[in-house]
Amino acid sequence: MTVLKNPGLPGKRSFRTVVYASSGLNYAAVPLLNQYQVFDTPDPDFVTGRLDISVFANLGASVPWPFANTDVPVNGQVSIPRGGGPFPLALFAHGNHSPFENSTPGYLYLCELLASHGVIAATIDVNFLNGNNFGENDARAIVHLEHVKQFRTWNNTHNHPLHRKVDLDRVLLVGHSRGGEGVGHASLFNLLNAVQPDAFSPVVPLDGSVGLGPYHFTLSAVAAIAPTDRQYEPLTGPTVVPDRYFLMHGSQDGDVSSFEGYNTYSRTHGVDLANPMVSDGKLKVLLWVIGADHNQFNSVWAPEFSPGPVISRPDQEQVAKVELGALAQLLLLGRDGYLKVLKDHATAGLWMPTGSRLVSQYQDPRRLFVQHNQEGLAPPVVSAPVLGTVTSSGVQASRQRFDLVNAGAPVPTITLRLEWTALGARIALDVSPATVPADQFKVLSLRVGQSTEAQNPVGQDQDFTVEVSCGSRTAAIRVSSLHRLLYPDVVFGTGKIVMQTVRLPLKRLARRGVEVRDLRSIALVFDRRPAGAVYVGDVQLSD
Amino acid sequence: MQPLTPPNAVGIEVVAAQPTAADRAAIDHLSRTAGRVLAPVTYVVKVRLDPMPPVTSMGWALYVDDFRIPKYWEYPEGIYFTMVDPQFFQDHRGGALRFSSNGTDFTDTGLVLSEPELVPQDTADLPEQADVLRAR
Repeated sequence: MTVLKNPGLPGKRSFRTVVYASSGLNYAAVPLLNQYQVFDTPDPDFVTGRLDISVFANLGASVPWPFANTDVPVNGQVSIPRGGGPFPLALFAHGNHSPFENSTPGYLYLCELLASHGVIAATIDVNFLNGNNFGENDARAIVHLEHVKQFRTWNNTHNHPLHRKVDLDRVLLVGHSRGGEGVGHASLFNLLNAVQPDAFSPVVPLDGSVGLGPYHFTLSAVAAIAPTDRQYEPLTGPTVVPDRYFLMHGSQDGDVSSFEGYNTYSRTHGVDLANPMVSDGKLKVLLWVIGADHNQFNSVWAPEFSPGPVISRPDQEQVAKVELGALAQLLLLGRDGYLKVLKDHATAGLWMPTGSRLVSQYQDPRRLFVQHNQEGLAPPVVSAPVLGTVTSSGVQASRQRFDLVNAGAPVPTITLRLEWTALGARIALDVSPATVPADQFKVLSLRVGQSTEAQNPVGQDQDFTVEVSCGSRTAAIRVSSLHRLLYPDVVFGTGKIVMQTVRLPLKRLARRGVEVRDLRSIALVFDRRPAGAVYVGDVQLSD
Repeated sequence: MQPLTPPNAVGIEVVAAQPTAADRAAIDHLSRTAGRVLAPVTYVVKVRLDPMPPVTSMGWALYVDDFRIPKYWEYPEGIYFTMVDPQFFQDHRGGALRFSSNGTDFTDTGLVLSEPELVPQDTADLPEQADVLRAR
């Protein structure tokens, strides 16, 4: 097996970074906007047109933008690897910030990293949507997609430096903050030929007939850094991201302190109760970075106020480089080994800053739920089509739409809460082995996290045992041997319960004599701590 | 959750203005779908804030009673939204202006939706929106 290299370190490719921008800009004439003068003189090969986004957005009337919403510019900075290509494409979009500060350069540190590994990576200008505005994240999505379209145009233009150099089958959209919400909408809009932004607006063609679109790009994934959720809501309801989804958020976020991207994550690639066996084939990944704030993911934003200790900017950028680097290595550069990093952040432990505390979740497209809890609020059951029963002893089990991370209403998913007050309490899923083809999967997986409720000692990891039995043989595995279950980083109120995905290799069970083809029971045995309260989800067989 | 402070709204004003091209498209759309002929007027609803809040990614959705205004924008003295259907003001007459950051907890501004000012016979006499939104 190839040894994985740290994806957060620069690669060997040289690259150049150029400014692209619309013609006719003259920020120099607007002293308040002097930070944007970089866009007044784009590289001559990279001059772009304008966009009419007026159906989607107004521009804040407090800022003397030298253009209207009918002709906003297509500006950015792009790092281009030297060499023949074609190269995959990654486009970063910032979020809301003072419109008098240019937020665009804040992701150059990530663009340059990706370019050094052979990815064309750009950070785009969406500053004209910034300010005390609200509900404009559909426009951010449109602008993001129009930038992809710009690269498609260049790729198709003879004599352009990017002619046939952009691999449009491998495109990654990354957004931070409101831009992070935007990439979810972009993922949705990318599939559409038209959209009606809201009830008062007309239907807007996205097929190129009036300037916007067509899109239908092959998006390898969309990645959201500390995103908002549902500030814009399509008429069809909260956006369900159709592409692979990556989410990263910091526990000390003093802006989007509600971790509302968790609701986006929960809605995305969820179980279809009518067809629980059917997967949409897309993975999703979550990384919770304890100590990270909101602004330090953007290298030019000053840190916001955070009530607790915040990790240093270099450390926070290193986390972003490792995780987004791994995502790019896997999905843009085809290096499958990096899937391990997404499946379990511990794989990247040596590459992360010393002392990093992380929590991660991973949902594989191949999965068979044994208990997903989405049937309703009644006592827990084994989920169809797996047949079986749930029995418990000394455990209080309840299912609710718990707002685990203060993400706000409506909470899209149901989670199981388990509480015990004496050693030896247990809850068991006794299953019919004929309905559990465990030999077709690689791991037994579940999500579990502890709360700040009084049953859990402050500051201590929680722990319990997973017992898996085929009837004749039983293997008992301490959860702490698979992953730490960290005590929440309490910043506001009762803190956030971010579940950790725990993956138990079925080979490990087989080595202990468990016949995985004849799996009959999965039990959580609370024999490690005398009391506790944990939240559990998505018990499943998976890859 | 961080104990965020909602914007402090201190005044509301509804001003009739010239529609933009996008507004005209919306007027045409609503005229077709509602079966009513709407006048070429955009109502600019200005909500004055004091102080102006800092720019953050977290935002406060603006509601009139239980109706969430889909989008609003900044102007020098606060925020504004536009409406092209006068029926909105009939349906929500006297409605309470409220802010919410999560759709669950609401802060009443103490302000109510006011009636649009009288529209002149000749809508061409209406001011441009840019003029309506200029700092006083």
